[in-house]
Amino acid sequence: MLCEKCGKNSATTHIRSVINGKVTEKHLCGYCAANEGYSDIKGNNLSQMLSSMFGDTLSAASNIQLTRCSCCGSTFSDIAESGKCGCPECYTTFYDQLLPYFKRVHGSTKHIGKVPNRAPNTVKQSKDTVEELRSLLSHLVREEKYEQAAVVRDKIKKLEGDAQ
Amino acid sequence: MSYWYSVSAPQDNIAVSTRIRLARNINGIPFPSKMSPEQFKTVNEAVRKAILESSTPFAKTLKYIAMENIPEIERFAMVERHIISHRFASNCQNRAIIISEDESICIMLGEEDHIRVQVLLAGLQFEKAYDIADHIDSLLCGGLDLAFDERIGFLTECPTNLGTGLRSSVMLHLPLIESHGEMSGLADSISKIGLTIRGMYGEGTKALASLYQVSNQITLGISEKNAIDNLKIIASQLIQKEQGYREQLNRIRLEDRCMRSLGVLKNARILTSSEMMSRLSDIKLGLSLGLLECRALPIKLIVEGQPYMLMRKYGEMSPDERDIERANMIRNLL
Repeated sequence: MLCEKCGKNSATTHIRSVINGKVTEKHLCGYCAANEGYSDIKGNNLSQMLSSMFGDTLSAASNIQLTRCSCCGSTFSDIAESGKCGCPECYTTFYDQLLPYFKRVHGSTKHIGKVPNRAPNTVKQSKDTVEELRSLLSHLVREEKYEQAAVVRDKIKKLEGDAQ
Repeated sequence: MSYWYSVSAPQDNIAVSTRIRLARNINGIPFPSKMSPEQFKTVNEAVRKAILESSTPFAKTLKYIAMENIPEIERFAMVERHIISHRFASNCQNRAIIISEDESICIMLGEEDHIRVQVLLAGLQFEKAYDIADHIDSLLCGGLDLAFDERIGFLTECPTNLGTGLRSSVMLHLPLIESHGEMSGLADSISKIGLTIRGMYGEGTKALASLYQVSNQITLGISEKNAIDNLKIIASQLIQKEQGYREQLNRIRLEDRCMRSLGVLKNARILTSSEMMSRLSDIKLGLSLGLLECRALPIKLIVEGQPYMLMRKYGEMSPDERDIERANMIRNLL
């Protein structure tokens, strides 16, 4: 395929963009792609890749663009453009808008793992221990050791009750 | 001093080093790319106090250094020793590190996040590395108001580090998996389980010296233990695969390849960095199979033969002068 801009070189850069559901495609040679500002696409420009993932959230939520983070002054479009938050407070300010993005990046929106000591101890213990106990429980069930499994199940229940 | 690259360690004939990195930030202060010089001072001082003034005996082994007091050549030599990131070495104004004497612990203050705790050990030592990092993290949690959200974990500048803020990685020497042309296929399948593999030196899937770094990408929705366990499983599979290929190999051909490289290294008068690396990769392979004897550790030579490491030892030089000095150094050490 020849470059659709110069018509001379073969097209090596293929750009497919989806804007508000409308699909457009471009097939360019390396030189024309660079002229059109697509030179970074094949590089490791992680923040550009990240910001492209924010795309639809940004266009869907136009009113959120007026909100600024009270700590660092970032707007949601600042975050979407750079793919990075300005300060820890941004996560509270734009939590709802960022949530779908966490899902896309990590496949999850729920933290499992270490909780700093200053948070209530019950939460720390329960997060660490319940996870371990659950895996022990399924192991015991597989081994058909039901009596021991019942003890572990009660422990989990108790820990979850304490945490709440 | 026993640095990660200058000691023998568990399973180090394939697994060269293990690294644990934790990203942490302090509430109420913008991330480093938006910080004022005063805010840098606040963060540096708060972390210095939380760690160095703690009562744990191990605090005595750590030292606080302002990055501006480290000369440029040494800063980039630290990058070559994998102690700090390239970006941190280039943009060091107002930044500081807290570092242990053997450089296995380095805490970067003001990299992408306020605090980046790194523990780097030789060989395959995930548990030990994580325990050290976790211990430092407990000091930080105790002494600082860390940015943490019950729902999404530790808050970081880039949402890709959110959750545990943990990046664990292992550097593997995989010359035979590489020569079987399997690296790009492996990279694809590894990425499907939330891990990534890339060349340690050089870009893309082709790595200099066949050194690859495998690390976890997912930090939210997975516990520290599970993330490290996944990486350990994949690392041990890669090690087994590489080992399997090594056992199947035609010994005389391999011996020929390794001895030729040894010949070049023992006799060359000019040695570029990339030639040094591919020759030393052969030596490392030959050593692990008992095909040759060598009194120096190949990884140590690879690290010490890097451009800034050479200049740190022998003074500032042009690239051509470095190639000559590199050949001299390696000849003397082999």
